[in-house]
Amino acid sequence: MSPTRYVIVGGSAAGMAAAQSIRELDAHGDILILSAEADAPYYRPLIPYIVTQKKTAEEIALMGQGPYTARDIHVRLNSPAISVDTGARVVNVLGGDAVPYDKLLIATGARPYIPPEIKGVDTPGVYAPRTLADARSLAARAGMARHAVMAGGGLLNLKTSFALLERGVAVTLVVASPEVLSQVMEPDGAALIRAALEKVGLRILTGRNVVEVLAGPNGVSGVRLDTGEELPCEILCIGKGVRPNVEFLEGSGIVVERGVVADEYTACSVPDVYTAGDVAITFDPITGKRIMTALWTNAVEMGRCAGRNMAGHPTVYSGTFGVLNATQVADVPFVSMGIVHTSGTPYEVHVHATANTYRKVVFSEDGKRLIGATLVGDISCAGFYRHLIRERTPVNGLKAEIIGQRLHYGHFIRW
Amino acid sequence: MKEIFVRLDRCMGCHSCEIACAVEHSKSKTLFGAIFEHPVPKRRVYVEWVKPDHKLPVLCRHCEDAPCMHACISGAIRRTAEGVVITDEDKCIGCWTCVMVCPYGVIGRHLETHRSYRCDRCPDRDEPACVSACPTKALVYQTVDEFSANVRHAAASEMVAGERG
Repeated sequence: MSPTRYVIVGGSAAGMAAAQSIRELDAHGDILILSAEADAPYYRPLIPYIVTQKKTAEEIALMGQGPYTARDIHVRLNSPAISVDTGARVVNVLGGDAVPYDKLLIATGARPYIPPEIKGVDTPGVYAPRTLADARSLAARAGMARHAVMAGGGLLNLKTSFALLERGVAVTLVVASPEVLSQVMEPDGAALIRAALEKVGLRILTGRNVVEVLAGPNGVSGVRLDTGEELPCEILCIGKGVRPNVEFLEGSGIVVERGVVADEYTACSVPDVYTAGDVAITFDPITGKRIMTALWTNAVEMGRCAGRNMAGHPTVYSGTFGVLNATQVADVPFVSMGIVHTSGTPYEVHVHATANTYRKVVFSEDGKRLIGATLVGDISCAGFYRHLIRERTPVNGLKAEIIGQRLHYGHFIRW
Repeated sequence: MKEIFVRLDRCMGCHSCEIACAVEHSKSKTLFGAIFEHPVPKRRVYVEWVKPDHKLPVLCRHCEDAPCMHACISGAIRRTAEGVVITDEDKCIGCWTCVMVCPYGVIGRHLETHRSYRCDRCPDRDEPACVSACPTKALVYQTVDEFSANVRHAAASEMVAGERG
């Protein structure tokens, strides 16, 4: 029997995790990754360190690091897929050649969303940093910039803000919502984070939008807000979410509904085609709703599952929380997962706040299951919260420990 | 390959393992040296208490399918040839994703260095410090085969004792 030809479109988290997982189960298959990027696979979440110049491209490379130790995984760079012929079982690559497959993974990820309301986004100095190439360019621009404006108060923009602050650039964050991080927590929890951001020198303007880029001889010279205010700057970073890269699937017969539709085995609507990562539609195990996420950790998990299925080991994907974030903002760590937006919902909510910490735990309406948690300042027990939410474990006698953030592994043992 | 096994019926809650662990992970490797060090050396084993009165030491299980290793966004967590899951401090960026996904709650956050840390099974020792320090042998360092052979032997002894009345 000739070796199976596995073709993976996309060389980031989902694609590389799938490749690793395939190789662990199939020692002889041909694994080919088609990457649109010019750089070999890297840890995308580390690109802010390229902006700060604290790490080099080699230092954030993925292959050979962490779990990615498998051999004989071939990555073709500069090779964006332009279409898929599921009848002939080939992927057409820009430049002309058709790559045949036995098993195909769609893991093309997503690209930044650029709101059409912002005028002048083609001006040099406007970024929506996503790739290593973007980060290199931003790092160079940071050397000549005094001010940067960040449109959007999400995590990505916060991380880029810190990188630019480190480079000595003054940063103003312009947020449409009443508070930063509105996608991952409610304003009462975000207040502590905002205070930490302001303490390190970030200027934050809420309830406002960037509407126009002002251009000078060296590219961006400022931005205009919807309030009419003008902010001088040499850099604008847009962090307004992402959109899945699905255009090349038109005419392939693979069902796309914004993202690529996957069944519980990560399989698409056409035989032998699978999907994973930011491009895929999956479901939230808490609400059962279909969602798309753009998180490294989720992409890896789904990619590993897809790899197993492609290698002939049927494995159910357990879905993922729409919100699953951990990080540290200045000196404030936070974790946010599951159901975090509760205003106007019937859920049972317990909030405990001190001067330096904020904790919100969310139970189902009947109070029997944990469905969400936001921990700011003190993130101990986070792993247990995730486990309880994900496994839909009845909380029974543990409720007081959950509310009080006093869980430990001993509580999960049957004595 | 040896692992650290916990015998639930033996822990008395004396916390000796925690102290031995912190000392082993100090610069001086002595108790008196360790308590004056900055940052304070961290323990990687945690003695927990469950009502009515159970105690147990909890530490990294070096999971076969380690969630932390796959979740890590910076490639800092890998498995050594000996099967030990380790965190590379130089690569860790302190994002705490591993903390968020660990179902045992045994990944610590080193606030002074902004890195995560966990049991490394004491690579410089023949037997991990916590195991050596445990006065009741609630912690044992054995291969799976050795451990299950001991469990069988104990069960057989009890059966024989029961037979005799």
